[in-house]
Amino acid sequence: MSVIQRPLALLVGPQEMGRTWYFWVGFVIVIGVGAAAPQYLGRFDLLNLANFLTSIFLALSLCLIWGFCGILSLGQAAFLGLGGYAYGVAGINFIESHGNTWAALGIGLAVPVALAAVLGFVMFYARLKGVYVAILMLVVTLLFETFLNQTAGQGWFIGDAHLGGNNGLGRFSGVIKRPPSFIFSEGGIKFLGKSYAFFYLTFGLAVLCYLGLRIMVNSKLGFVMVAIREDPERTEALGYDVRLIQLIVFCVSALLASMSGILYVSWGRFITPDVFGVYNNILPVIWVAVAGRKSLTATVIGTLVLVWMSQRLTETDYAFVVLGGILVGAMLLLPEGVITGIVDRSAGLRARLAARLRARA
Amino acid sequence: METISFIVGLLYQYADTIALLALSAIGLIIIFGMMGVINMAHGEMMMIGAYITSFSYYAGIPTALAVIFGGIGAGVAGMVLERLVIRRFYGQLLSSLVATWGLSLILSQGALLVFGQLIQSVPTPFGSFTVADLSYSYYRVFIFLVALVMIAGLWGLFRFTRFGVRARATMENPRMARALGVDTTRVYALTFGLGTMLGGFAGGLLALTSTIGPFYGMTYTPQAFITVVVGGGAEVVTGLLASVLSLGAIKTIFMNQTNILLGHVAMLVLAFVIIRLMPSGISDWVERRQVRVRER
Amino acid sequence: MPLLEVKNLSKAFGGVRAVDGVDFSLEQGELRSIIGPNGAGKSTLFKLLLGSIKPDKGKIWFRDRDVTRAEPHTRAHMGIGVKFQHLGVYGDLTVRHNMQLPLQHSLSGEAMDAEIARLLERLNLAGTEERRVAELAHGQRQWLAIGMALAMRPVLLLLDEPTAGMGPEETRETGSLVHSVHEEGVTIVVVEHDMAFVRQLGAPVTVLHYGRVFAEGSLAAIEDNEDVRNIYLGASRTMAVRSRRH
Repeated sequence: MSVIQRPLALLVGPQEMGRTWYFWVGFVIVIGVGAAAPQYLGRFDLLNLANFLTSIFLALSLCLIWGFCGILSLGQAAFLGLGGYAYGVAGINFIESHGNTWAALGIGLAVPVALAAVLGFVMFYARLKGVYVAILMLVVTLLFETFLNQTAGQGWFIGDAHLGGNNGLGRFSGVIKRPPSFIFSEGGIKFLGKSYAFFYLTFGLAVLCYLGLRIMVNSKLGFVMVAIREDPERTEALGYDVRLIQLIVFCVSALLASMSGILYVSWGRFITPDVFGVYNNILPVIWVAVAGRKSLTATVIGTLVLVWMSQRLTETDYAFVVLGGILVGAMLLLPEGVITGIVDRSAGLRARLAARLRARA
Repeated sequence: METISFIVGLLYQYADTIALLALSAIGLIIIFGMMGVINMAHGEMMMIGAYITSFSYYAGIPTALAVIFGGIGAGVAGMVLERLVIRRFYGQLLSSLVATWGLSLILSQGALLVFGQLIQSVPTPFGSFTVADLSYSYYRVFIFLVALVMIAGLWGLFRFTRFGVRARATMENPRMARALGVDTTRVYALTFGLGTMLGGFAGGLLALTSTIGPFYGMTYTPQAFITVVVGGGAEVVTGLLASVLSLGAIKTIFMNQTNILLGHVAMLVLAFVIIRLMPSGISDWVERRQVRVRER
Repeated sequence: MPLLEVKNLSKAFGGVRAVDGVDFSLEQGELRSIIGPNGAGKSTLFKLLLGSIKPDKGKIWFRDRDVTRAEPHTRAHMGIGVKFQHLGVYGDLTVRHNMQLPLQHSLSGEAMDAEIARLLERLNLAGTEERRVAELAHGQRQWLAIGMALAMRPVLLLLDEPTAGMGPEETRETGSLVHSVHEEGVTIVVVEHDMAFVRQLGAPVTVLHYGRVFAEGSLAAIEDNEDVRNIYLGASRTMAVRSRRH
């Protein structure tokens, strides 16, 4: 197969919904509508949409490890928060003073991945049970929250950046430096949080990550991941080092989650220890479980719908009760997820209809 | 004089830490040991226990009885949840984790909506005593003793009662237990109720020492989770004891020398070291040592 | 030096010694049946050989190397192929993708397609490439699982109850498949419950009982062995229950 054909074949591989031409027509339409958003959305709505889009990376990070590799982590916010803080601290030191966005980005991505590598090594090489992995990740995250909450004192400076305790990094601008947005001085582009450029950046990255992950799950590695999800013991007997693959996928997932954090910080120019809290950990679980963890497409759609919905509900105080109810309800009625469930059922219906038509003809 | 006050202080702190870990984890570890389900709503069971304790106390009921009501209330709540939701997820460990987390969210946020940010806290009984110029609370010593009694009671329950025998049979081999006429569904329901009742009881006891709000339980659950991970699932009582003694020791030392946060971090690090060395938890490791000793 | 050698292998779970001081060896090119009543330690021995659990005591040598602590994936690449007792296949994937898992270590593209076609032909599964495995008949799934083990080009093939749940016709076909693989020079261990299949294989037999090697010898000698008959008689009731479940 040629260099171009191969990735294309992987894009429409069997591990992900979307093997029909009308799926891809729909996809192109969605991209078009999204790309044109600045034409018809007001400034406030556009800002909001950009913020919604940052959630997608967090959702995809959980979808990848849980849905495709069978590793549930209840602490994905650890990577999001650490990425955000690392980018923010590095940004204050590098972007503000030297205009070096790449270094800040690199640090923002590398620190969470390093944490994932260390934790993953300990957990997967000890062949820790899945439930243990899930809750240890939550404990790790909550400890980060506790730690950062007590960094309000004057001693907590990293270079020019003040960690700031529960006020967070850069909450009080003027007195203390805030984390900056991306500035790529070579091209003269500034991705300020409130600009069109930032929206396009987030949108473009989300599309790229979605397509990239489609390729990943349909690659050789993707098949092995699914095999591990189905049965780790058998997969080992087929010659795969399950621990190593789990570790690699865990690190990729940390990378995705940290992108959410970095974009969030450069969007709002602040970050507080709350990002490590229970809500940022349970929200991705709700999005992915309710939408359908075994599908990237379902995850993206479900996340956008649920994020939009919870924003509408926040005005009524009931948001988290409703989300909790939706989660439990979905787990009871459609354990594979609402979107996946509907797609599967309609596919089954179509097949039955087709069979009946054939029988009649 | 200074050495005495240091040693007494350390022992007091150790006892207090053990009490806290044991109380917050005991209900959780029973449910996990028996059914492999980690109940993410355990903190909310503690919250329910604390709320009922507070309401009962201000309704004029004696403190001791109020705490017991808290336990019973959480036990009933647990059995209802088991019946409605948790029963559907036996054998699917990760799904049960997610579903119980959803319940946790509903319960804590529901409490926030109904009762607001804080409810009236209950005064700590018994007063205090003084050793080498430092004052200590009698109540803290009391809950340490209660924790010990609860662990001993649990051991007795599994050892000597009919429920205990059935529960152990179910834990060992559910299919075989069913074949022998044990109603395993009922055993699971009762175990879940027992676990949440102990959680509610612990919540009531600890409520007498702190403020009470919808997220009251969440302050205890991370430590409880670490305790369960270290304790492992094989033998509930041994696991719990070994786990609270070791984790309590390291937390006390670090808390005494540095601060609470580092105490928690040290616990977590120790937990990672232990799981690296004995992946199925301390109790399983202890059991295997026993086999080896018997062989000699 | 034998191909596989096991010395004093022991493994306990809780207080139960599932495998208790087993000595056992296999020459290159041998075909061997391992039998024993329920709870004799067959499954534990099988898992110790493939490496998914590690022994408390004892050693395992394979191709002159100490593999006692080696991980399953290492052993797989050294030439130990495995077919598990229960559904050794991934039900959500197609037959082709199941076969792809063991083959993609070394093959890709058309070479892989050709190899998949060749193996499926041999397993009586030709033409099922695009079907989801969950849609296959029970016996076909068992063959696919054997095929996945064969795709690793094993030196030693471990088969755990290859005929579980099969009818007489499928059992007979499985027997001739095992024989034809054996004739190619692959060393095979069959862990089996069903005496009829063991008879059909006609290979030397090792009998496990309470985690120990109870008897070892040719099929005829084992069938004549009074003690072996007794332990099976004691277990006959559980065997009846098992066969009814199937």
